[in-house]
Amino acid sequence: MKKYRKVLTVLLLVSFLALVTTGCGGGDSSDTVKVGIILPLTGPEAMFGEMEKNSFDLAYEELKAAGKTSIGGKEIVLMYEDDQGKQDVAKSATEKLINKDQVAMLSGGYSSACTNVIAQSAQSMQKPFLIATGSSDDITRQGWSYVFRGTAAPASKYTGAFWDMMEKVVKPQNVAIIFENTDFGISSSKGFREECQKRGINVVFDQAYEHGAIDFKPMLANLRSTNPDMIFATSYVMDASMIINQMKELNFNTKLFVGNGAGYTMPEFYENAGAASDYVASTSLWVPSVTWSGADEYYNKYKQKYGKEPDYHGAQAYTTMYIIADALGRATDLTSPGIQKAMKETDFNSIMGPIKFEDWEGFTNQNKPITYVVQWDKGKLEVVWPEDVKSASYVYPVPNWNER
Amino acid sequence: MEDMWIKFGQTVICGILLGGMYSLIAIGMTLIMGVMKIVNLAHGALVMVGMYVTYVCATYYGIDPYIGMFIAMPVLFLLGCLIQKYMINRLVEVDSILPENQVLLTVGIMLVLTEVIRLIFNSDYRSVTTSYSSEAIYIGAMSISVPLVIGFIIAMAFTFLLHMFLTNTDLGKSIRATAQDRDAAVYMGVNSSKITMITFGLGAALAAAGGSLLLPMFYLFPDVGHLFTAKSFIITILGGLGSTWGAAIGGLIIGLAESLGATYISMGYKDVVGLVIFLLVLLFLPGGIRSLVKR
Repeated sequence: MKKYRKVLTVLLLVSFLALVTTGCGGGDSSDTVKVGIILPLTGPEAMFGEMEKNSFDLAYEELKAAGKTSIGGKEIVLMYEDDQGKQDVAKSATEKLINKDQVAMLSGGYSSACTNVIAQSAQSMQKPFLIATGSSDDITRQGWSYVFRGTAAPASKYTGAFWDMMEKVVKPQNVAIIFENTDFGISSSKGFREECQKRGINVVFDQAYEHGAIDFKPMLANLRSTNPDMIFATSYVMDASMIINQMKELNFNTKLFVGNGAGYTMPEFYENAGAASDYVASTSLWVPSVTWSGADEYYNKYKQKYGKEPDYHGAQAYTTMYIIADALGRATDLTSPGIQKAMKETDFNSIMGPIKFEDWEGFTNQNKPITYVVQWDKGKLEVVWPEDVKSASYVYPVPNWNER
Repeated sequence: MEDMWIKFGQTVICGILLGGMYSLIAIGMTLIMGVMKIVNLAHGALVMVGMYVTYVCATYYGIDPYIGMFIAMPVLFLLGCLIQKYMINRLVEVDSILPENQVLLTVGIMLVLTEVIRLIFNSDYRSVTTSYSSEAIYIGAMSISVPLVIGFIIAMAFTFLLHMFLTNTDLGKSIRATAQDRDAAVYMGVNSSKITMITFGLGAALAAAGGSLLLPMFYLFPDVGHLFTAKSFIITILGGLGSTWGAAIGGLIIGLAESLGATYISMGYKDVVGLVIFLLVLLFLPGGIRSLVKR
């Protein structure tokens, strides 16, 4: 008993200390407009979090140089919080930013699971929240008036351009679906499955897998025996390259392998999958070679400053910063309802195309996405669909492994 | 019908091969647990550091990961000894500190190692691509990747060597004596603080070896350690705390069970299979495999 009492005392002391340190602060500094940004800066998703933070910073510097970070004499300040890719941490980060730091609005949100938690807290505390990446459908389907999603499409709508291409080129009879069992994977495969049903396409294989597996062959061997025309996969980057490499090892050929954005469009995918990445297609929300003005410049600036190539995640963060500055600049007063109203009136031309927050098909404050189909060709990501913006012609059906 | 057998063969072989590498990592943990009676939750982080050492050798100096492993192992041995001598021993020596707090210390060490690596290498995913990384051996229609086979063979060799070391050398016998009864060993003239230091170093070196063997086919990032901590913890319990052979067999069982689960249930439930085994062992066989042998 004595032992436990000791432990209890220590626990009490620690919690008391925590109370004291969070209790102070929270002072209202009236010469700044604080924007809280929650990203996974540590944990397995940290790589994406870093890219997004870099892009937020890059956009902020540009805005500052243009004098757009000052709103009626008040300077915009970005406050980053780390969600570690965990929902509970995301929730406490949100509450800290709102209650202690008293931010004017929130942004960020990488994984769908964390974004959902942030959105929920933001809505219940009536703080405007502009989502950068988290894209599972249900986040903007709850009728949450303070939650806005501009740069990210609902996961089930990543595939707009892709379905167009399906209809005109691929015309598959039997398709297979594989996806990681996260909110994003489940949401996007659900959208794909429903679309297949609507179009009378047979889904011959449909399986989730655990993120971070070493051996994908059991699943791939099962998949091969169903002999699909096409595979639709939702994975993060390292899983994506492992799947493609192991398909090559198994000498498993399909006419087309389509990834659903995320891992399949990242530079790291090519670095790790090497030559096996050739002809892998993917849906995408953004590519540097897209025709919207500024896209190219962002890509080059980022590459120059951070020595790495950004992908659409970076573009989402960069664009999001611009939308924030635009909305805060137009807001008549910097209260939550004031910012919410300004956000709702957004009509902004970004490097990801025009951004407007509309209500459609059950979504609230959701921008209508523009999507692309891209295909890898010797380490380069080429836009192959829609045809009017393509940078290369599609390859279909793709050559067998032993013919390459 | 033939298809079925191919699939079954592929599943069993890959599962066992992967399990061999899990074993090696888990043996490191079980050694530490046996001698020091604490769960080393920094074990996965040590695997991660070992992987980074091998990665640096491979990327910056062009050393093949299987040779780089022999650089990573002494480095980690040293790191393990230092951690044991200057951190953990200080807590072990104080009687009034609960064993739980020693476990907390290992959590702290894990965080420090992870964040230091993040500071140096960022959070990027990295991998080592070798000429044989995506080579495969074909047995009929089964494809077995080459790094998996090499990794398994080396892992089993290490397990055998370790067994020989523990049973046939004075130092090995002292380690086993300390694990069985620390006080009695001290009365017999065993320098227990030296033994625990060497054991921790040895455990860390084995962790590095296991990580390096996985490197040609897997990838690494600062948080990759959690995966290995969880796996080796399950295997250690399954094998019976502190039993080397128990951990070796436990690793193979977990590898096989995961692989079978992935093929015949669903890949989404791969990890669940391991955890279910974990719970069943705790409920019905609390002593692990070791207790079966003893009967």
